[in-house]
Amino acid sequence: MLQTENITFHYKEDKHTFLFPNIVLKAQENLLILGKSGIGKTTFLHILAGLLAPASGNVIISGTDINSLSNSKLDKFRGQNIGMVFQKKYAIQSLSVFNNLKARLFFSKQPLSNPTQDTKEKTIANSKIVALLEELDLSDCKHKKLNKLSEGQLQRLSIAMSVIHNPQVILADEPTASLDDENCKIVIKLLKKQAKQNNANLIVITHDSRIKSHFQNSITL
Amino acid sequence: MNVWKISWQNIKSKPLYTALSVFSLALSIALLLGMQQLKTSFKHQIENNLGTIDLVIGAKGSPLQLVLASVLHLDNPTGNISYKEVKKISKNPFIKTAVPISYGDNYKGFRIIGTTNAFRKLYNSELEKGRDVNASLEVVIGHIVAKELKLTIGDTFLSAHGLVEAAIETHDEKFVVVGILKPTQKVIDRLIISNLESIWHLHEDESHTEDHSEHSEENHKKHPNEKDKEITSLLVSFKNPRGFLTVPRTINEQTNMQAALPKYELDKLYEYMGLGFKTITWIAYLILIIAGLTIFISLYKMVKERAFDLALLRTYGATRFQLIKMVVYEGFTITFVAFAIGLLLVKIVLPLLLKFTGITFNGNVLKELPFQDILQIALVIFIIIIVSITIAIYPIVKMKISEILSNEK
Repeated sequence: MLQTENITFHYKEDKHTFLFPNIVLKAQENLLILGKSGIGKTTFLHILAGLLAPASGNVIISGTDINSLSNSKLDKFRGQNIGMVFQKKYAIQSLSVFNNLKARLFFSKQPLSNPTQDTKEKTIANSKIVALLEELDLSDCKHKKLNKLSEGQLQRLSIAMSVIHNPQVILADEPTASLDDENCKIVIKLLKKQAKQNNANLIVITHDSRIKSHFQNSITL
Repeated sequence: MNVWKISWQNIKSKPLYTALSVFSLALSIALLLGMQQLKTSFKHQIENNLGTIDLVIGAKGSPLQLVLASVLHLDNPTGNISYKEVKKISKNPFIKTAVPISYGDNYKGFRIIGTTNAFRKLYNSELEKGRDVNASLEVVIGHIVAKELKLTIGDTFLSAHGLVEAAIETHDEKFVVVGILKPTQKVIDRLIISNLESIWHLHEDESHTEDHSEHSEENHKKHPNEKDKEITSLLVSFKNPRGFLTVPRTINEQTNMQAALPKYELDKLYEYMGLGFKTITWIAYLILIIAGLTIFISLYKMVKERAFDLALLRTYGATRFQLIKMVVYEGFTITFVAFAIGLLLVKIVLPLLLKFTGITFNGNVLKELPFQDILQIALVIFIIIIVSITIAIYPIVKMKISEILSNEK
């Protein structure tokens, strides 16, 4: 469930004000946002993720108005409910694939109140990571650092990072821009499949018209 | 997984860079600690040799010379003083002990002093073997004398004139070793101790030594008859601090002798030397600041270079505070390891260096660096690191995630 109401935004040094369309997405609904470069696609996505505060309007995710949250609560909310996929930035350089996913889970989870629960959660988390890596065909590079992975593997890892914590919303910023046709298809299919499995909304912003046919809903900025 | 583990992975992911940072910091910490230790050892060495001596009374001249000669046994004495007059002074109610010393001879470079058995009590020195001196021409020898000259109880030797080893002239009568002292790390380790009578006795029959060089003439008893017996100086310790107020002035004003405060004179000397130590300490601090700067630059670079990573972590739900913690952990790990290596270097390398260069003039010269000094240096480093980290994390505090992520392409 994601909804936006009358969102506007302007950069400090800029007089131009962005006006963004209202969006209402029910459970499992996906959306493709198309637009030329510089039209404010990424800005819109960052507002949806709570990385930028809009000048006016609200972003409501699963009933929570995210702009009403305090900074640290918003950090936690984002960690728990939003998964992001970027075009080039996949995960943390100094960590292995497996540790990246563990870190992702660590930051998204709430502080543990019961320490005995910790080991149990750890095993659950570990088996979850193993299963996801299996599913995304990344099992072989479980302990590899990022610089040892191929482009396709990196983008799949990026998807894994965005869904490991069962988010409500998956936001993808140009996920296919640097991929060839075949990989482009694979990535979009994986994203849609993961979104469905997690019962999450998937929003993809792109100028890549190749993926238009994969989405029922699309808007152009 | 937690913040600390991520920090650790970050450190491990750049081993060469980390090693260089650690090494440069460790080296400057070692330099600083080593300097401090040498300074402490030197100061201790001097103060240790004071024993319980509060005041030195001797012939007029340079007070520093008097102290150097009578306390550290380094310089030539200023001259001789009348034993009769000294005995009078000893009766002063403020004086607890007054130990006369007299010399003029050496054996293979080690000074032979004539004194009483109270002398070794000034240094809390104890006998290792044998007994105290009971009669003329008996000696008790210090630990280093025994070791270096391989003398043992019952050995005899002939003494030579003067205070340095140039022994052409020797006396005919032999000294006999009756006791050996335990090591004290003080100047007494390097002395040969006899009684006053031995010195007087040796020089009684030697009117022919009158024509000796000027300074050795001074050191010798010119009129060895009972009334005009002379000694080199008197080592005094007071009953209470009030002695400091009255006794030195009385002596300096009312007699033809001088009273010198060894603590004061040596502090002055130490100040002259201290200037050199101070300079080196400043250089060490300068190096430390440079090392601190290295740490700062590497942390700052890390924050800048990993701006994308840090922004990504924020999208994962990491708070600003967690990112700051991450940088702080990294900074402190590097510093802690560097400090440990620096301390190890000082503990292992410095003694080896001293041994290698043969600077072992008084046995164990190195004094353990007091914990307080280590703590003080650690504190200075801590402050430098805190400052570096504070500046380095500033970009995190000001971080605009959206801007960083938008610039990824």
